[in-house]
Parts: sequence; C-alpha cells; structure tokens
Amino acid sequence: MASPDPKFEVAPPVAPVMVRVEDISKNFGNVRAIEHVSFEIRQGEVLGFLGPNGAGKTTAMRILTGFFPPTQGRVWIGEIELFKKPKEAKRHIGYMPESVSLYGDMKVLEFLGFVARIKNVPRGKRAAHIEEKLQRCGVGEVKNRLIGQLSKGYRQRIGLAQALIGDPGVLILDEPTNGLDPKQIVEVRSLIRELGKERTLILSTHILPEVSMVCDRVLIMNRGSVVASGTTEELEAGLKKAHEIFVVMGDRCRKEEALDILRSISGIDRITVTEEKNDQVSFSMVISRNEDLRPVISRLFVERKLPLLEIRSGRLSLEEIFMKIVLDEKSGRDF
Amino acid sequence: MKNALVLARKDFESYVHSWAGVLVSVFFLLIAGIFFSFFVLGYAKISLEAAKGAYETVQGLGLTRFVFSSFFLNMGSLLIFWVPLLSMRAFAEERKQETLELLFTYPLSDFEIVWGKFLALLGFLKMLLLPTLVYVLILSKLGGDLDWGPVAIGYAGFLLLGSAYLSLGLFISSLADSQIVSAIVTFGCLLIFWILDWVAGVTDGFWAHFFSALSPLDHFREFTFGVLDLSHIAYFVFFHFYFLFLTLRSIETRHWKG
Repeated sequence: MASPDPKFEVAPPVAPVMVRVEDISKNFGNVRAIEHVSFEIRQGEVLGFLGPNGAGKTTAMRILTGFFPPTQGRVWIGEIELFKKPKEAKRHIGYMPESVSLYGDMKVLEFLGFVARIKNVPRGKRAAHIEEKLQRCGVGEVKNRLIGQLSKGYRQRIGLAQALIGDPGVLILDEPTNGLDPKQIVEVRSLIRELGKERTLILSTHILPEVSMVCDRVLIMNRGSVVASGTTEELEAGLKKAHEIFVVMGDRCRKEEALDILRSISGIDRITVTEEKNDQVSFSMVISRNEDLRPVISRLFVERKLPLLEIRSGRLSLEEIFMKIVLDEKSGRDF
Repeated sequence: MKNALVLARKDFESYVHSWAGVLVSVFFLLIAGIFFSFFVLGYAKISLEAAKGAYETVQGLGLTRFVFSSFFLNMGSLLIFWVPLLSMRAFAEERKQETLELLFTYPLSDFEIVWGKFLALLGFLKMLLLPTLVYVLILSKLGGDLDWGPVAIGYAGFLLLGSAYLSLGLFISSLADSQIVSAIVTFGCLLIFWILDWVAGVTDGFWAHFFSALSPLDHFREFTFGVLDLSHIAYFVFFHFYFLFLTLRSIETRHWKG
C-alpha cells in the first residue's frame, strides 16, 4: 500500500479559484446596472445567481462571458485577466445564452463543427469530440437536421452542447431550464449536477427550488448589488432558524390586548395581522431565533383569558426568505 | 486570423443557402451573360461595318476595349443592386436570430468578426465572377484577340469597387435591426454615390473635380480602360477600410448601449 502523501495529511486540497470577480460595476449611460459586485468561485463549484428581473443577473453574466467589459473592476478566469487577454480567457468559458437562439439555417453538425473550429479543437479530434458532446446532451438523433426545425427542448440542449465544446473549465448557463417540459427539466438538472463535479458552473435562474437542487452556493442579487450570498447549507441553516408562528384568536375586540402580549415577548421579529373574519383574528410572526415560542405564547394568552383557538409553527420557505431579502434589502445579511 | 476564416466560411455557406444568395447569383449571371453576348455581338457588327469601308470610325477600338470596358462599367453600375442584398444578412441576420450574443462570447476579437464577415461577402462576389472567366475563355478560344492585361485590371477594379461597396453595406448591416432596413439604406447610400457621378458630369470647374474625386464610379472607370493608377487604388482602399473601421466601432457600441 502506498503511503499517503504528507501534503494531503496537513491540509485537505483546496480547489483552485476558477473565477474571481473584483468589485465590478457597469453603467449604461447614467443607469447603473450593477455596482460593486465581488465573488470567487472554485473549481467544481456550482454557483447560482438568483434575483428578480432587472436585478442585474444578465449584465453580470454578460461581463463574465466577455460580451462587454465592466465600467470598473476586474475579472479573472483562472490566472488570466478576462479583459486584458479576452481571446485567451474566452477559450476557458462555455456560455449558453438565455433564449438559446442558434443559427436556424445550419444543421446541428455543421453548427457544432463551426464552434469546434472557432474554439480550436484539433482537426483530428473534432469529429469524436463533437460526437461525445452530442451523446452527452442527448441530441445525437437530430444531428443531421436543421436547427431551425427542432423543438425548443432540443435547441436548449444544442445550446448546452456548443457550450461544452472545447471542454472549457468554466460554464455559464443563463436560465438553463427555462421553457422545458418537466421531463426535460429533470434531465437537464441531472446533467448540470454531473457537469458541476468536474467544472466550475455558474447558472442564473428564477426558479428557487432549482437553486437548492443543483447549486453549492447562491448569490442573491437585487437592484444591481449582491444582497446575500452563502452555500446552500448556510442558507438551509438560516431557514431552520427562521420560522413563523401562526395564531388564531377568538374575540376580535381584544386584538390590541393580544398584540401587546405578543410584542412583549422577545425573539419575535415582526407581527402582522393576516386576517380578521367574523369574531376571529389571525396573526403571523417571524421568529429568527432557534427557539420554540409556542408554549410561552399559549401560557400568556391563557393567563389573560384570551380565547386561543389555534397555534402552529411553520418554516419559512426559500421563496419567503428570498422575498424578505429582496423587499428588505437594507438588511443585507449573510446566511 | 484563422478564426476570421472560420467565421467567413460559416457565413459564406449561409449566403449560398439563403434565398438572397441564390437570387443574386441567378440574376447576376443572367445579366452578365446578356451584357457579355450583347457587347461581343455589337463588336462583331461594328467590325463588319468597318470591313465595308467605314474603317475610320472604329479605328483604334480594340476588342478588349470595346467589350470589356462596357462590360465592367455596366456590371459596376449594377453592383448597387447586388451589394445591398448580400450585405444585409451580415449582422442584421445575426441580430434577428439573436446569435450575435453568442458570437461575442467565442474566442474571437471584434476585428476578426468584422474581417471574417467581410471576407465571406468578398468570397461570394468572387464566386459570382468566376463563371464570367468562362465567357472570357470562350471568347479567346473562338479567336478573339484579347489583351490580357486590361482584362485583369478590369477584374481587379471590379473587386475593389465591390469591396468598397460591401464594406459600406457591412457597416449599415451592423446598425440595422432588420435585413430589409439594411438593404434599403445600403441601396440609398450607394445610389447617392452613383448620383455623384452624374453631378460631376453636369457641373464644371472646381465642383466637377470635387464630385468626380468623390465618386466611386469615376475612379472605377479608369480600371475598365485598363489603366492602373495608384490614386484610384488608394481611393478604394481608403473607402474600404474607412467603412470597416466604422463597422468595428459600431459593434463596440454594445459596451455602453448594452
């Protein structure tokens, strides 16, 4: 048995940084599309870009792909500075645009052949290389057809295949599952997960569950800035801590009294009256501490002889966390 | 530069497969054939008259001069119809199919994109000219006494004029969102350049000189006579690179326009 390499005993190997974004901002005239965005992605990581429309996701991704330079700041792809040596750096990037629009008048093989030549795949290996990508993306059966005649699902996968050509270390996918049917979505997601094992992947999405399914790390953007970032574990830990309690009380006339009680309890972030119907009042409150406050609430209500009809706790979903961050962006906290 | 050729090849194939490419090829060859036979027959008629005794009227008018300068002059004028139909696709088509975004993320410099697109257009024009060489060979085989130098200069001039027009078309295609708009605006601009030639004819003195110096056809005329003059070559080279430069700046506007 070979003795273990001493280097690996001292510290586990840390994957090299593949993409480093240093304080980038982008202006279009007087409009600031993104400001002061910085992050790093290591090899084998899948980073998800999350944000409402107009948050600057596409602008950030276009900068990463070298489509246009930022007004300020720098981007490194591996050791190469993207906007100093764009041609060299772009060899390491595969990009799949949002609305995968491809050359409709070309056959699939012709198009991939063109991409392979542009990306300098050696002539002898070209055919095998393209064949491998076709198989991997499951578009082998349509390789002799015109792209313009194919369905959206196929075109999406051809878009992915062209991004994979040349085996770039960094893959950037803009809304990769947009417009696919459920079966295709499952397939594309598993493909992304598989690709993420060997490469660095950046994907933007507005589908929240997708983030927890495929991403290691999430960057939430709003109005051009990063408002939250963290690994999915960190996000999930944040989710576990934060939860909601719902209370339904009879006797609507004593609403203020009930609110006073709830306000007096420490650990409750925000109280909202969700419904007032007949004689009933419903409250919902967000608890950010990892503590079950239900016994305290019920004891206080009983002591004041307030008719407590229902009390239950619920977790905040990723959607709610996302909405909370986006609506209340000043908090800008890290999970 | 290799990448520019890869892009040129892709574009060239797309022109060959497009309806505009097919249409332009068919009409170009049809009209070139008609012109050519027309001028050859015309020359035959004149020669016959000369043989009847009116030799003085056609003295000094050689076959090459008669057939080829008329041929190139007319084909040169007709370029304003072909060029808009060819160049309209260059950028406008990529914009319509939204493939421009993808192209900018491939390892290609902006210059390679512009140069590659231009080479594809020039390649197509050369392909159109190729069959006309067959006409020349037939004429020569049938016993026509051709002066090859002026014929070659005529072809070179035609390609220079074509390159200049195609660069202008390329520039307008880079600005336009649709192929139709690109074709119409290019046609309009080329028409203005054509009109310069007339204006030069009806004015005199400084203005005649001024307009003829600007007019591409006026510079081209010398080539059709078999005259190789550096100033005319310089005019076309400048015209060509000026519009290629504008195209380059035009596709750079994405940096601030988004």
